[in-house]
Amino acid sequence: MPNLTLDPTNLTAQFEHRGRGNPPSVLPLSAISNCFPGLEFDFRNVWRRVLEGIVLHEAVGVVMDVDPGVPANITELRGAFLVSVDGDPTIGDVQGPRTTGGAVESLGQDFLEWSNALARILTHAGEEVRCEFQTQQNTTITRMLKVRRFFHADELTNNRTAAIGKDLATPGELTQSLCSPWQNDYRECGCYYWAASRPDYVNVETAGGVTSGHNWMARDRSAAAPRAYTLNNSLLFTYDELFQNWETLLKFQIDGRDET
Amino acid sequence: MFLPLSVLTEQQPRPGHLFPTELGWHVLVANGSRLYRVTEDFRDAWQEASNEKLREALLAEAGIGSITEERLLESPPPAVRALSLAVAQKCNLGCTYCYAEQGDFGRAPKNMPLEHALRAVDLLFLNIQPGESLSLSFLGGEPLLNRPVLQAAARHASGWALRTNAKLSLSVTTNGTLVVPEDGDFFEEHGFAVTVSLDGAGEAHDRQRPFRGGEGSYSRIVQRIEPLLRQQRRMQVSARMTVTPDSVQGVKESVDSLIALGFHTVGLSPMLSSPAGHGEMDPEALARLLGEMKECGRAFEAAVIRGTRYPFLNVMNAMKEIHRGTHRPHPCGAGGSYLGVSAEGKLFACHRFVDDPSAGFGSLESGVDTAQQQRWLRERHVEQQSPCKTCWARYLCGGGCHHEVIRRGRPSCDYIRGWLEYCLSAYVRIKTFQPGYFGATN
Repeated sequence: MPNLTLDPTNLTAQFEHRGRGNPPSVLPLSAISNCFPGLEFDFRNVWRRVLEGIVLHEAVGVVMDVDPGVPANITELRGAFLVSVDGDPTIGDVQGPRTTGGAVESLGQDFLEWSNALARILTHAGEEVRCEFQTQQNTTITRMLKVRRFFHADELTNNRTAAIGKDLATPGELTQSLCSPWQNDYRECGCYYWAASRPDYVNVETAGGVTSGHNWMARDRSAAAPRAYTLNNSLLFTYDELFQNWETLLKFQIDGRDET
Repeated sequence: MFLPLSVLTEQQPRPGHLFPTELGWHVLVANGSRLYRVTEDFRDAWQEASNEKLREALLAEAGIGSITEERLLESPPPAVRALSLAVAQKCNLGCTYCYAEQGDFGRAPKNMPLEHALRAVDLLFLNIQPGESLSLSFLGGEPLLNRPVLQAAARHASGWALRTNAKLSLSVTTNGTLVVPEDGDFFEEHGFAVTVSLDGAGEAHDRQRPFRGGEGSYSRIVQRIEPLLRQQRRMQVSARMTVTPDSVQGVKESVDSLIALGFHTVGLSPMLSSPAGHGEMDPEALARLLGEMKECGRAFEAAVIRGTRYPFLNVMNAMKEIHRGTHRPHPCGAGGSYLGVSAEGKLFACHRFVDDPSAGFGSLESGVDTAQQQRWLRERHVEQQSPCKTCWARYLCGGGCHHEVIRRGRPSCDYIRGWLEYCLSAYVRIKTFQPGYFGATN
């Protein structure tokens, strides 16, 4: 099969580049432009392979897998927790009040987001850094792991490009762990969060400068239903109802109204 | 099956252009002006394809589709955000090829009254939004023959820009013979882009741009412009050369000399259409000019690699546009967001069409003729032009200067494509060896 891979050179080519097999939504023109955790890609995934030899979970510091062919002292990291890299802990103490007006106190320990915890080590790209792991049996293992380059370097000239390094993600990985908007996240995320693809305030009528209408998630959006934007959970579809039957419960909006 | 002959013979639009560089084969995709380095497999398939439809399919197979709708402009015409004022429709030089027919556009010489100039500025700022960019230029004839009106209009516009927080660019194109030191102060204060028409150094210039009495103007211009060249900080003083068959030999030398004088940039244009046909470039002269321009281009490339300046404007603009992937359905803003105002206060497609009724766009009094704008933009769209609509360079070129095309046609397509092909390969070289030239976005 002929190799037709094209290497985008100028800005419009880079901007409009759609990798083979990728959907239209990867292009800025058609993107929903939400990438955390994301509708087009999940930015957290770019950190999973930043340390050579191991594959991390996108959000929690657990080693999910190891690269093929690594020595036994790396294989044994599978399932262990990465607790510090190059002297910086990956776990932080979360501080805050437990209730409104309550005293600020420790709310426990949690993994930092990788973009915060690991950004600094990118200055050591190509070098080994000291990584501390805690095993499931609570023993500590220290390994020196090499930091991968974040940006792809052009092979011919070694110029860095704006593209994410190919070693950081295998095909399909950047689009793992995306939102499932119709089934779940439309219910999860509040008012005005979604782009045009997610109707919010529907069946709207305007009178005397005042609008009235329905929440798209309201179970009853019939003409007889009170025209009020409700956030009352008992009046909204449940997650289960959406899982089971989202495609009939959520209507397309035609001219601002539920399709009939 | 019966097919009308026109279908069989009509050329299909070229979806792109394949070209070699020292750094591998590349393809420019016309739609969106996207540039790609290609594999040998792709190159072979492109070259073996017997027609343009197959090449389009090949691009689609490689994941490259159309990113813009090539429909004609049916949307409302754009607001006018650039105006040129023919503040003086007269000139003290007697250039044989002048589009303005020695400054007066073939009519009685005249100055633009102050009232018209101020009103034109008001039109430019109509419904302006904070942060919007607009441009006001002074042309003629020789605009410095009406210095008080030029200055009053520029001050009026600067005041508008300050009040509305708009980004105003002021520019003037002058023959340089009448410049006085106070002009330098004024242009510096207002940050003017000053373009001086110089067709070369010394004799080459004098042959084409003599005073009306016949004597050469070069030494006088240089004497008057030198103080501005030293003074330029906010203002930028550039030279613009018009090239005729008589001056094409030695263009590289002329560009070198003008750059050495200290111009901010030096640009050139071939003379393609003059009112009486004097000095128009023929295919042979255009081919020679292309050779000279490539030499200038190579001097530019060498300078970029060394980290020095060789400000040959034609190649600098090309680098910027290729890098951005400029996709232009028209060659310039003329008749759209840009109009020319005549001394009598009438509006025309641009500064070259002044007093040409076939390219009238209303007047300061009656306002912009938006129906004419719409008609002009539709008819002049590159997809409506022949042979443009099938040319691979259509969205980098835009179809060529309306004024020249309407008057003379398109004698320079090979020259334009030759220049663009050179610039595309120069872009690939600079992008590879000095990517910093394109700033942080590379």
